[in-house]
Amino acid sequence: MDIWATIPQLLTSGITFGAIYALVGLGFVTIARASQIINFAQGEFVMLGGMITFFLLNKIHLPYPLAALLAILIVVLIGFLLHLLVIYPLRKASLPILLMATLGASLFLSSASALFFGTLPKALPPFSARAPFEIGNISISPQSLWVLVAAFLTLFSLYLLSHRLLLGKAMEASSTDPLGADLTGISRNLMIFLAFGVSAGIGSVAGIFITPIFYVSYYSGTLIGLKGFIAAVLGGWGKHSGAILGGFALGVVESLSVAFIPSGYKDGVAFAILLLILYFRPKGILGSPFIDSRRW
Amino acid sequence: MKRKIFLMSFSILFLMTWISPVHAAKSPYKIGVNLELTGPWAEITKTLKNAMVMEVEKINAKGGINGRPLELLFEDNGFDVGRAAANMTKFTRDKDILLVVGPFEDNLQATTRAIAEREKIANIIICPSNPMVRDLKQQWAFNIAQSDIIVSQKLVDLSIARKYKKVLVFHGAWPLAQSLAENFKRFGEAKGIKVIISPETHKPTDIDMTPQLTKMKPVIQKEKVDAFYACTGGPPGPIITKNLRALGIKTPVLGTHAFGFGFIIALGGEAMEGVEFPAAKPVVFDQLDENDPVKPVNIDFDKRWTQRYGTPSDQIAGYGYDIIGLIEDALKRVKGKVTRSGLRDAFENTKGFKGTHGIYQFSPTEHDGLSKKDLVFVRIEGGKFKRIQFPGTE
Repeated sequence: MDIWATIPQLLTSGITFGAIYALVGLGFVTIARASQIINFAQGEFVMLGGMITFFLLNKIHLPYPLAALLAILIVVLIGFLLHLLVIYPLRKASLPILLMATLGASLFLSSASALFFGTLPKALPPFSARAPFEIGNISISPQSLWVLVAAFLTLFSLYLLSHRLLLGKAMEASSTDPLGADLTGISRNLMIFLAFGVSAGIGSVAGIFITPIFYVSYYSGTLIGLKGFIAAVLGGWGKHSGAILGGFALGVVESLSVAFIPSGYKDGVAFAILLLILYFRPKGILGSPFIDSRRW
Repeated sequence: MKRKIFLMSFSILFLMTWISPVHAAKSPYKIGVNLELTGPWAEITKTLKNAMVMEVEKINAKGGINGRPLELLFEDNGFDVGRAAANMTKFTRDKDILLVVGPFEDNLQATTRAIAEREKIANIIICPSNPMVRDLKQQWAFNIAQSDIIVSQKLVDLSIARKYKKVLVFHGAWPLAQSLAENFKRFGEAKGIKVIISPETHKPTDIDMTPQLTKMKPVIQKEKVDAFYACTGGPPGPIITKNLRALGIKTPVLGTHAFGFGFIIALGGEAMEGVEFPAAKPVVFDQLDENDPVKPVNIDFDKRWTQRYGTPSDQIAGYGYDIIGLIEDALKRVKGKVTRSGLRDAFENTKGFKGTHGIYQFSPTEHDGLSKKDLVFVRIEGGKFKRIQFPGTE
């Protein structure tokens, strides 16, 4: 069989996946930039975005756009609550303890979702006409294009937030120089609180856009969260551009790997890449503001 | 004073236990139930539990079996092999428990079967055993679900009826799916169908099969296969179909009996249209032939189920009916005192029990109760399961 003939199709599938990983990675980075916390409940925001939209669409019978919008708002609220109930009371604790707390929150959110929404997987209808486009020998589903649109819009609005708005700069300052932020009168807790909301919003957008392609179940947040984390580390921990680049790199490599190795090892590829990056370039492709580059 | 009150309450309590109806009636037949009540299959097992509870209440309301009520003891194994084994061991230690039902999933049952064999207690399981386990010829485990062998034979019949000459199989990387694929190849090639088993596989957790299918697309085009067999169960089924259609492949898709759930159609949406598979009879019980012996059983069960739970019954609820019915049938045939081995022997001699899924026949050499006759062909049309028939294949 000619392996090379399948490459273009695998590449398109990898780019879709890359956009998803990038979105999830962006959620991680947003919180890390404000507080250096690694929020392992990020994958659950993705799951909840899809799950709550499904619930509003099929049980309360809201129109699709309204259900999606309301779901984003609800997940943002959950993000705020996560900060108020878990992170804020532990603000004096060290980072590893906060990390454990977010892991606990992740388990709580996924189990709560199983209780409220049931354990069977669910899928959302696609946003637009379902017939895939055919370009040469490649077919592209319209929903993949929607995912790309969502990724670029999110990236653009994050760029505006962190480069054009004072709020975004204040968020970043509270992480890079806590003392300086305190001295200039920035409330660091408020910044972290807002970061959790923004990150939950990004996660839920990702969830809503990808559920029509795949499906959502109460346990699906964990793996996608891990992949997003790997993407963020791969590209450069703490950089928005890093998460995007890392996401696309991971998605494409993972997808292309199927052409050369048996597909059973597909999930392993992501973790192998993470290990290699941590061995040889811990600050990631684009470098990380949190990792001292002189040491490496 | 205090002492007096204490003595009085004690004597009242003592009297109450003396005259309580539990002691007045004969002690119940106890059945242990070891199910995945939490975890990914929680909703499915809840249906099974509800059906079993409903049937036991019906039997007890009629005065029980041989004048003794039936009692179910539920334990949750949380989709965890360790807990499933612990529950099984706990049940075997209770001398009053005569038989254990469950677990539900393929990957937990090998362990409980081994314990059942060692501790000599009958174990009813609700999933076809994988071939490695079947070769052990265990004497204490009984399978009430459709086995991989009969499903593969029925699928070969379907392929012949549809005149498929070449079928490509994409199977899951777990023992049951592998065995379904191999059996399909074995029975299919005996009937002159060319079966290609793809070296690509998938896992139950895969949410996207596009890479694997992309790799298989040239094979589908070059070999001109007539049908694509998605040899899997659970969410991968609709995912494969969806991805296949998104890649622009229009080859007809064949499925396994595990496609017969409403949530499978909901997951796959429009892509599921036209998928055909061998299904259990409860999936399309209202479309069965008028003279089908299990049709009235299903209609009666569905009526009681809908009345009580407000949703239509499905094949899992049907298993619940069949389990309790088979146990009742076996208990009635035990002569003298009911023991674990007596009940096992009676169960093994079940002949012609009419359940919702079909007519069960067990024997010392056959611990899979159903046969090929208990399956029907189903096609997904307009988001619903529709029975299809081919003359000479029923």
